Amino acid sequence: MKVLKKNDRRLKRSSVGKMIRNLFGVLAVLFIIWRLYLVFIVQNNYGPETWTRLLIAGLVIGSVYALIAIGYTLVYGILFMINFAHGEVMMLGSFAGFFVFEATNAINITAADGSVTSLTNAQPVLSIILAFLVGMTFSAMVGFFLEKIAYRPLRKAPRLIPLISAIGASFALQNAALLLFSPQTRNYTNPEFLARGAGWRIMINETAVILPYTGVLTMVLSILLMVGLLLMVKRTRLGKSMRAVAMDKDTAALMGIDVNQTISNTFIISGALAGAAGVMWGLHNGILHYFVGFLPGIKAFTAAVLGGIGNVPGAMLGGMVLGLLEAIGPAALDISFQLKDVIAFVIMIVILVFKPSGILGEVLSEEKV
Amino acid sequence: MADLIIETKRISKFFGGLTAVNEVDLQIPKGSIYSIIGPNGAGKTTLFNCISGFYVPEIGDILFLGQPIQSRSTDYIASQGISRTYQNIRLFSNLTAMENILVGQHTNLQTTWLDAIVHTPRYVRESQYSHDEAVRLLTYVGLKGLGDYLACNLPYGMQRRLEIGRALANAPKLLLLDEPTAGMNPQETVDMIKLIRMVRDELGISIILIEHDMKVVMDISDRISVLDYGTKIAEGSPKEIQANERVIEAYLGPGGAALADKYQKRRRKHA
Amino acid sequence: MNSEKYLRNSVQKGFIFSIVMIFMMMIGFHVVAANLTSKLFGVQVLRGSIPEVVFMAYVHLFFAFIFGWGASDKNRPSKQRVAQGLVTSVTTAAIISLFSLLLVFLVEAQLDIREYLTAFSADYMRYFVLNLGRPGIITLFGIYTVTGLVGTVTALFVQSDRVQQAWNRAKTSVTLFWENANSKMPAWAQKYGKYVIYGGSIIVLLILPVRWGSYLNFVTSVVGLYIIAGIGLNIMVGLSGQLMLGYAAFIAMGAYSMALLNAPTPHGIMLGFWPSLLVGVVMAMIAALILGLPIMRLRGDYLAIVTLGFGEIIRILLRSDLLVDFTGGPRGIHAIQGPTLFGRPFNSSSDFVYLIFFFIALSILIYQRLANSRTGRAWLAINEDSIAAQATGVNLRGYKLLALIIGAAFAGLVGGIAASRNAFTGPNDHSLMVSINVLSLLIVGGMNSIPGIFLGAFALRGLPEILREVETYRQLAFGVLLIVMMLVRPKGLWPSSRPIMENIDKAKVKKAKEKVKKTKRKSKDG
Repeated sequence: MKVLKKNDRRLKRSSVGKMIRNLFGVLAVLFIIWRLYLVFIVQNNYGPETWTRLLIAGLVIGSVYALIAIGYTLVYGILFMINFAHGEVMMLGSFAGFFVFEATNAINITAADGSVTSLTNAQPVLSIILAFLVGMTFSAMVGFFLEKIAYRPLRKAPRLIPLISAIGASFALQNAALLLFSPQTRNYTNPEFLARGAGWRIMINETAVILPYTGVLTMVLSILLMVGLLLMVKRTRLGKSMRAVAMDKDTAALMGIDVNQTISNTFIISGALAGAAGVMWGLHNGILHYFVGFLPGIKAFTAAVLGGIGNVPGAMLGGMVLGLLEAIGPAALDISFQLKDVIAFVIMIVILVFKPSGILGEVLSEEKV
Repeated sequence: MADLIIETKRISKFFGGLTAVNEVDLQIPKGSIYSIIGPNGAGKTTLFNCISGFYVPEIGDILFLGQPIQSRSTDYIASQGISRTYQNIRLFSNLTAMENILVGQHTNLQTTWLDAIVHTPRYVRESQYSHDEAVRLLTYVGLKGLGDYLACNLPYGMQRRLEIGRALANAPKLLLLDEPTAGMNPQETVDMIKLIRMVRDELGISIILIEHDMKVVMDISDRISVLDYGTKIAEGSPKEIQANERVIEAYLGPGGAALADKYQKRRRKHA
Repeated sequence: MNSEKYLRNSVQKGFIFSIVMIFMMMIGFHVVAANLTSKLFGVQVLRGSIPEVVFMAYVHLFFAFIFGWGASDKNRPSKQRVAQGLVTSVTTAAIISLFSLLLVFLVEAQLDIREYLTAFSADYMRYFVLNLGRPGIITLFGIYTVTGLVGTVTALFVQSDRVQQAWNRAKTSVTLFWENANSKMPAWAQKYGKYVIYGGSIIVLLILPVRWGSYLNFVTSVVGLYIIAGIGLNIMVGLSGQLMLGYAAFIAMGAYSMALLNAPTPHGIMLGFWPSLLVGVVMAMIAALILGLPIMRLRGDYLAIVTLGFGEIIRILLRSDLLVDFTGGPRGIHAIQGPTLFGRPFNSSSDFVYLIFFFIALSILIYQRLANSRTGRAWLAINEDSIAAQATGVNLRGYKLLALIIGAAFAGLVGGIAASRNAFTGPNDHSLMVSINVLSLLIVGGMNSIPGIFLGAFALRGLPEILREVETYRQLAFGVLLIVMMLVRPKGLWPSSRPIMENIDKAKVKKAKEKVKKTKRKSKDG
């Protein structure tokens, strides 16, 4: 066969839009280089200890994003829809964990030496496990019912319809939480040994950088969960049926796979992961209110797109990368920390505009994008 | 050559490793009805998609009235005067039949959104003209009085006609019909053949046709090309194609020619 | 077995009903409902206090009746339906009684869980069981069982064939009477009657703002602004099919242009209302152009999420310290001036209502003319099938971009007027919530339908303003409504209809219809 490629596809799309896109791209790159030059060469304010601190923060928040992003990616892989309410599932899981800690705090236990401690501190491991279990179960339930009520009847509808339904679900869940739990901000009461701010001290340049226990817990646990998920998708029957349904629902049904059940399972799994992320969020950040799921939700979606939506390892990678960029970005570019969220949104737009297939993603056919 | 409406010069289109269209040469004279036939998956629709600009062929040129169009956008090609219909009907199903035709007139009209907001005299004149023209076209394709039906509520045969009406609305020079009689009953097929002839004879529009119904093809085509696995294996008048061994083999498999011969002989004997 | 299945469904229904009920109790809806009921009976309740017990009983009766009504399956024989009603009612009643048992326990143990669940004040919990304490549980059980059954039986009666027939007869006789009356009217009355009605309603609209108090004027202008925004968003979403979740960003463009050019602080340009409004509209259009150019090849959900990101970026930038000197930061901009027309300043609340009325009329005019033009049809074609549209010669990117820009112009207009009307604008006026509000009014009312947009704007913005009690639940209702509308009526309450264009006389239409029927029958036979 001839290898001669005469008609370049680019000829066809040599439009103004493309030129302007490229112009935006060049300008953005120039801007970033200029800011990096300012920060690292001209000012050079921050020492390695600051960067280490930011790196740790980024990895921790990144692993939370990664867990949520897996939920987006799993659902998108199977239904080709953005589960807009996924952030709210995480928020509800976080609330469930919060209530577990409140309950264990309320129970007082008198130790053998007569001192009174709460159950949280007397049995910290137990209470943490309990919180994760309850949070994951509750979120899984929310995900299950969400799919059953708001998405399943719309599976055959045009694609915008389930999306609008998902937006509705997101708002409904958010405001339900607002009305149930009030707009007040709450704080997680961690077990004493996991107190926020406590951690190992690492000396860099004679300055202590704290590696928080909660952060380590978050990272280790999320890596364990992710490895478990990967094994499940690769090895088990459930994982195989999920992959089959993602490929082709009709054929999967012909092969005897219960498509509805598989989709339900997907929502349960992604809900459980979001619930775990919610409890981690609570343990690490401590702050909890009804709106807490919105931004992590959007950012995790960004992470999923960044890694290549529909691709599970991609979501993990995307989450980590996004967390790092978000933590280091403001300092590295010398912009205000208020604009941290802007970075995530800008990354989202840039990725969707320039490379919608993400880092690890396959090239999506037109109908999927 | 001046009397060619469209010419493809060794165009090829690949999908990954698959060669969907392989160095196909076509010369289609003005004012002819030209059929492209071939077994399923032979690359006929891909060829159409290349001509109408959905795909860019990796190799080769497409000359429309002597001008290369192979890397232009679909809407530009449409504005030059190539219209098409689709294998599975693609009407704007929630618009009325009348609106479908009005959308079809798009490239023929000049007024912009500003004209529409201000209702300039030009706009008023043009909308009156386009309305009359659309009613005329509806009558032409035999849908008089059905203009206010939603396209999706029309019966199947009428949807096919409406699709042709929409394709005719921008006064094309070349019409690409992708299986215009698919799924029709014999009566509807006869009507459709009449319509296609009428379009060529009265409006002087050249037509390229993809069709599986050999009766239709042999009946109305001036010339026929046969594609198999993306390659053109034969070209000629209907008679020549019917006698061509490679064509028969492409349809019936190797040894098919002998088989067909036997069958023909037996039929003659019975007659 | 079949009988088991339908009864199992009823039990499920009972569970759903009771969970809905318990959820409503947990967000404190019952007090509000009782409040509304008491209003209905003409009894005013002091703000923050709980109405009389009777009204709570009414609320319980009402819900029980509704649940009973919805319990049975229309297609089943009546005996099975009664059985279904009974099962559902008993299930609902049992779960609600269990729940009220919990409430009574909480009240008696004097546990205060308001820290976690805000609605659970002791008064409210006692009120829920009708202030009866333990006997209240039995009472509730009785109410839900008996009233539920009554509801089922009523539904059976109303949906029975005889009643339905009578109802249909009544309906046809009314329409017949109406048609008779119409045809007997003289020709000129038939022709001009429409215009008389239009003229009359215009006069009423002109008089009303002066008569109404400023509160109703406030409500009217909010609804009116949402109508304009709805029309603008409809051009993006309804006509050209691009789901836009960052509409508030364009509104912010208009509002901030107005504020920066027309307010004494922070810049003191004081350009005047009309030029600022124009600048706002142009700025919104430019923003749409800049946003639109790179994202034109995205569609569907990706487009939605990118525009959401854009909206959030604009909002975050507006409230950040970065632009605090330029835009006033989170505190916003105050003392924006109103317009003057022929030297007369707008100072009463009705003046703005007139202004908004004028712009609504203008928007409708522009919208109608666009929608029925070559441009509008090209948008609709893109929305229906972008590939086929392109093959008929529609330039996809150009038209999509045009839809964004024109839609954004309406947003700029809304932003400018709103900022001037409120004499204030700040970043929180342009949150994602605003975008969602406008989108939901479109979806609830019906896309591409002007009456639908009016209906949606009134239902989503007007009603909650008038019924202050339910204001708290508005956002929740938005979310639930979006889901419910998608499940039940994806085309909205007042769906659009396509214009009649061929203009042929009625006999021919009839003939054509017969032809369609015939061919349809034929193709069915074949």
